[in-house]
Amino acid sequence: MVVALHTLTGALYLLACLASGAGLALGSARATRIAVGALAVGALAHGLTFSLLHTANPPPPLTDLTWAASLMAWLGTLAYLALLRRAKVSGLVVLVAPMAFLGVFLASLRPGPVAATTAGSASLAHAHVLLASGGFALLGLAGLCGALFLAEHRRLKRRQALPDSGLPSLESLDRAGAVALAIGFPLLTLGVVTGAMWVHAAHGAAMTGNAHEIGALLAWCVYLVLVLQRFAVHQGARRCAVSALAGFALLSVWVVGVEMLA
Amino acid sequence: MKLLLVGMNHRSAPLDLRERLAVEDPGPLVQKLVACEEIDEAVLLSTCNRVEVVALTRSPEAARMRLRSFFRRELGADQPGLLERGLDEALYEYRDGEAMRHVMRVAAALDSMVVGEPQILGQTKDAYRAAVECGACGPILDRLYQRAFATAKRVRTDTRIAEGSLSVARVAVALARQIFEDMSGKRALLLGAGEMAELALGALRDAGVASLAVANRSAERAAQLAVAYGATAHGLDELPRLLAESDVVLTSIGGDRPILRVDTLEPALRVRRGRPIFVIDIGVPRNADPAIDRLDDVYRYDIDALAAVASGNAEERRREQARAEAIVSEEQQRFEGWFAALRAVPTIRDLRGRVEAIRARELERALPRLGLDDDAREAVEALSRALVNKILHAPLSRLRREAEREEGMAYLEVARLLFGLDDDAESAGAEAEGSPDADPEEP
Repeated sequence: MVVALHTLTGALYLLACLASGAGLALGSARATRIAVGALAVGALAHGLTFSLLHTANPPPPLTDLTWAASLMAWLGTLAYLALLRRAKVSGLVVLVAPMAFLGVFLASLRPGPVAATTAGSASLAHAHVLLASGGFALLGLAGLCGALFLAEHRRLKRRQALPDSGLPSLESLDRAGAVALAIGFPLLTLGVVTGAMWVHAAHGAAMTGNAHEIGALLAWCVYLVLVLQRFAVHQGARRCAVSALAGFALLSVWVVGVEMLA
Repeated sequence: MKLLLVGMNHRSAPLDLRERLAVEDPGPLVQKLVACEEIDEAVLLSTCNRVEVVALTRSPEAARMRLRSFFRRELGADQPGLLERGLDEALYEYRDGEAMRHVMRVAAALDSMVVGEPQILGQTKDAYRAAVECGACGPILDRLYQRAFATAKRVRTDTRIAEGSLSVARVAVALARQIFEDMSGKRALLLGAGEMAELALGALRDAGVASLAVANRSAERAAQLAVAYGATAHGLDELPRLLAESDVVLTSIGGDRPILRVDTLEPALRVRRGRPIFVIDIGVPRNADPAIDRLDDVYRYDIDALAAVASGNAEERRREQARAEAIVSEEQQRFEGWFAALRAVPTIRDLRGRVEAIRARELERALPRLGLDDDAREAVEALSRALVNKILHAPLSRLRREAEREEGMAYLEVARLLFGLDDDAESAGAEAEGSPDADPEEP
């Protein structure tokens, strides 16, 4: 059932990808609306998948990268759908949908989440994965906002703008990126803290010095600088977009790198 | 008769010079012009972007001097510094065919700052109407302007040139929407004036911009625009503050040096803390230094860029403009033909007069001898008139047709020679009586 629901989720996200691509190519607002709708239905199916997984005894902590990626994709999709209420970024679906599909596709490469034996508190492990994934998803969303901002900025600067393309305005993307960063960074912080508590419960020390911990701390420090630059120094929107994209790239390299090292 | 056009436009003269010569009511001024001996008909067109006089004259050189002095004395009211500002260099002149073509191109908005813009046709019609009302527009300029209006209509309906220009203001708003999420909280600033800038300002207002400000060198003009658009009027000394407050800046102001430069925008951007500024530069020459493109939060679009976005691509624009120019050429040729045919009018009039005089004289001589009653007399008179008309129809039509061509002048000269049209009437009458052809007894 989990696999079937997960496959349905992937299909809906794929439909969202195709519809958003058509919306961009044809400048059709209707296609974009269909994409957002498919994404929302996909997120519902995705949520049901994780609910079913949670009924397992014991529930898998989703510490393996593929299913963690699927969780991040779901949380990122939910965050995007929530952001739509705050900023006119429906056109961002053109990037969110492929990322969501990619997360589900990676998880589908494995038949099901690994029921890993977790040392220490299982609830801390769950809290760490949920918070860190949520933080990662939102920071990823900020990165996507940054990527689309830079593409649009470049096009406007080169006077190749496409009026009525249905893509979000620079201001919307900047605002959405700021909101995603403002929520994502505290979640990442809580993820790091719960991770440290989990390690402490398992090993008696907050840090064991492995690559995962060092990478997490490094990424957190980088994002602290980005947050200060955006909210304290008020640097320009383009630089914020570059920072958000670079930060997300660094975070991704860290997550994938750690997995490969493991 | 010669056509002569003297004027200046946005390409030949800076805005401050055009502003000095602009007139609101051209009627009294064209009346003064046609009161001059060397000018028979005249129309004066005055807009933000051009001041032009089209005149019909028998003495082109004297009329040329008169029109140049008219610009300096009447339009410029002998203001000091006009010559220093390059008035003489700014004035262009067109004659005959070129003048006709220019009038048609102006009416069709092919000579406008934004090609295809809709206002110029209405402004041209106003200028024509003013000239008609004060009796300065005679049959020839009347015909020229009717032809120009028809040309403008053809250009609008047969080409897509107007679509791009009409949408320039809309494109400005659409581009602003690509930068700003919601226009309702935004502030727009207009620097200077101009048709297209005002059009874009109106479109921004319609898009829901929260507040509009107008700044100009001329406080009076700023106040006028402010009233028209519900904006606030400012002097240019307030520019640093206005820039810091404005999200959209429309510029259309005269001057050799760009008013929006890196050094004027950087302080504003610091105050704005990274909030972007959309600069719509409609000035010619450009009011915004292209170097401001390196400022991250400034997006600059000049009129060419807006028009290019509006009409899809430059290639399509060029194609449509070429089609419009072809229509103008066709209409110009048609009018030129009509205008040239006017050369035949004196010859045709003289020839008709001469033949009519002979007919009347011979009839007067013959009727008493015939002893006819009234009905028969009328019938003979009608017969003589019909004969004259039928005989003259073919040569007169040919003369009219030939007069449209430069080589056709020879036909006019031959006709004058053959019929002795340049001889005085008495000698011509005597010749006619003495000649065998004139003998009523001759079969």
